[in-house]
Amino acid sequence: MRKKELKLVVTFHTTADAMAMEKACKKHGAPGRIIPVPRAISAGCGLSWCAGLDDREQMKEMMAKAGIEEEDMHECMV
Amino acid sequence: MNLSDSKKKLALAGVICGLVAACLAYFGNPANMAFCIACFIRDTAGALGMHQAEVVQYARPEIIGLVLGAFIISVMTKEYRSTAGSSPMIRFVLGLIIMTGSLVFLGCPLRMVIRMSAGDLNAWVALIGFVLGVGSGVVALKKGFSLGRAHVTNKAGGTVLPLLMLGILVLSIGTTLLKASEAGPGSMHAPLIASLIGGLVFGAFAQKSRMCFAGSIRDIIPMKNFDLFSVIGGLFVVMLIFNIATGRFVFGFGTPGIIAHSEHLWNILGMYAVGFAAVLAGGCPLRQLILAGQGSSDSAVTVIGMLVGAALCHNLGLAASGTAANAETGEIVAGAVPFNGKVACVICIVACFVIAFTNKRKEAK
Repeated sequence: MRKKELKLVVTFHTTADAMAMEKACKKHGAPGRIIPVPRAISAGCGLSWCAGLDDREQMKEMMAKAGIEEEDMHECMV
Repeated sequence: MNLSDSKKKLALAGVICGLVAACLAYFGNPANMAFCIACFIRDTAGALGMHQAEVVQYARPEIIGLVLGAFIISVMTKEYRSTAGSSPMIRFVLGLIIMTGSLVFLGCPLRMVIRMSAGDLNAWVALIGFVLGVGSGVVALKKGFSLGRAHVTNKAGGTVLPLLMLGILVLSIGTTLLKASEAGPGSMHAPLIASLIGGLVFGAFAQKSRMCFAGSIRDIIPMKNFDLFSVIGGLFVVMLIFNIATGRFVFGFGTPGIIAHSEHLWNILGMYAVGFAAVLAGGCPLRQLILAGQGSSDSAVTVIGMLVGAALCHNLGLAASGTAANAETGEIVAGAVPFNGKVACVICIVACFVIAFTNKRKEAK
């Protein structure tokens, strides 16, 4: 089984935002993948974006550019 | 202990919910209806006099328990959040669609899984429609479908549906105001206290595990994620063992007495509408009740939509009938979807497409 590690998890207000995030990240070659919101976090729409802890600034920048509003950014074991 | 951090523990949540359903079936709930959200909301609508189908009227404590269970656990674990404002009237319509589709098929996705575990091949046929419906919803999501975001509201807002449910419970225990079937599925039920406790337990575990029948398939299609599916898997296995152990497993189509019909096309289309609408609404009927319990007024509106939808289905003759044996002659009468029900089902599917492709996500400024 894959070992869990501390990751950056971005939650969104709507599923559409999460989907838009996936599209934008693919387009810009940004790191990460779409995952169901970890159950330790009680928020969001059900889907979230998971990336490395060091990617926080890149994520923020890209979301601002693509017009995607995050609900929150968490650090949790995924 | 965190009950939701691994697939095994999630499957355990499914197993516990399966045990609840099995116990309730054992204690008197209708054969392989055990725990059906659509049927039980329909029965509750009947108890409130919203429709006059005498065989399906009973204020099901399971529904009350689900909402209250999710409410209590979410308050205890600080997950309760009063939110509202995500296209409520569209959600109301989605509630109508979910209920109409469910009553054309004769069951919500939860009951579909329970029927599958009892060997009812009609439910396996309906699964095709359900998966296609969820798939259509996922396509809409990928194309940018959104009902807009919900906002945090006054804390009291989210308590309205739980309080209304408590009110129904008080009326059903303390008065004779509510209608209760003397025959038919509505008359078959586990003792009130067992149903209520079952609902509370089911609600709490469903809230913690985020159990959702539409979500489980939605997560598999784009992400190959089987977390939610493992919850459903656990429930299925328990019900399968229960059905085989108690001699309730009957493999085949057209088995009388289990409240199902064998009109394959309409089983598929009914569940197609349910799957499609459930993804658009962000969750299956069970998940809507749970979300409403943890403070979402938007989901509460969907629940009200389901309640009104159930009443309409019986008042306008849309609901299907189950294959049954005539009590006097022993002759088997095939269940069927009435013409009105077929028309309504098609309208529901068209409405899903209209909703799916007219509500687009707006970019944040």
